[in-house]
Amino acid sequence: MRKGLRSLAAVCLSAAMVAGMAPTVLAAPAERYLHIKVDDPSKGESVNVNVPLSMAEKILPTVNKGSLHNGHVTIGKADLNDVDVRAILDALRTAQDNEFVTVKEKDQEVRVAKSNGNIIVHVRDSGKESQKVDVTVPMKVVDALLSTAKENELDVAAALRALSDAGDALLVTVQDATQHVRIWVDSRNTQD
Amino acid sequence: MIVLGKVALGVAGVAAAGVGLICSEGMIEVKVVERQPEAHHVYVLAPAAVVPMAVHFIPSHEFGHASAELLPWMPTIRAALDQLREVDDVTLVDVTEPGQHVVVAKKGGSVVVDVNDRDETVHVSAPIRAISSTIEQVAAASHDSLN
Repeated sequence: MRKGLRSLAAVCLSAAMVAGMAPTVLAAPAERYLHIKVDDPSKGESVNVNVPLSMAEKILPTVNKGSLHNGHVTIGKADLNDVDVRAILDALRTAQDNEFVTVKEKDQEVRVAKSNGNIIVHVRDSGKESQKVDVTVPMKVVDALLSTAKENELDVAAALRALSDAGDALLVTVQDATQHVRIWVDSRNTQD
Repeated sequence: MIVLGKVALGVAGVAAAGVGLICSEGMIEVKVVERQPEAHHVYVLAPAAVVPMAVHFIPSHEFGHASAELLPWMPTIRAALDQLREVDDVTLVDVTEPGQHVVVAKKGGSVVVDVNDRDETVHVSAPIRAISSTIEQVAAASHDSLN
């Protein structure tokens, strides 16, 4: 009788544990959103765009126009003055955390670095029209961009998938004399 | 008397089923309030299923180049509308300018566009299913005009 009760208790406990885990295992991953916010307080203008990343992932492969086809973008070397973007990204991907480029001029400073799994670009322009640009791209996104086999292509659709798997991230901020631009990814469907 | 009652019940049942069918795709809501130069109010609430049906009866040549130009973009439009149906309610675009505010959102299975400016207020709400069916009809008109 005791053995029977013990078995029953073990079965109940197992069932309870499975039931408790089920929502965690079965729950669909939360939707992630790409947010773009442009503010121009001097003109009283603002533009807010919220795009579900799953939507962008599905739409992008259907666009076949210009250099974009099946979610891949073809990069012509002629368009980039023979700069091999793919080779540069690949070199950055395999390099260790470091500051790679620092250019300091009278009114401008540019820094390119790799830090904590991100590629970081800082541009500071203190000239007549002062401007601050910060770009942070997770390395996973760079890996995804390079995941296509073709040399002259970048896989933008894969990059979007990687972006949706990555955590919340502030990707781009641009601040000039009048405008403020922010591009970021999170799981909230509003910008509040 | 009993026969009449049965007939009335049948007619009422068919009418209810018809209304149910027509309203099955939701309702299209258009609300326009003009403030200047004269105040006008326009409010239309129509079953969304009627629009694709109405488009079906428009001669294909009436669409001109629109349907042919739409055709290459159909995979993109289909993907966008399919995904839009799946995602949670979201404000897709919100633009504010001095004197003007435009919002495009997905709310409960519909695409909602709100425009507020000094002269008028416009509110349009259309079910995604109806938008999809209508666009499919317009694109199909391109095939008809080619044949």
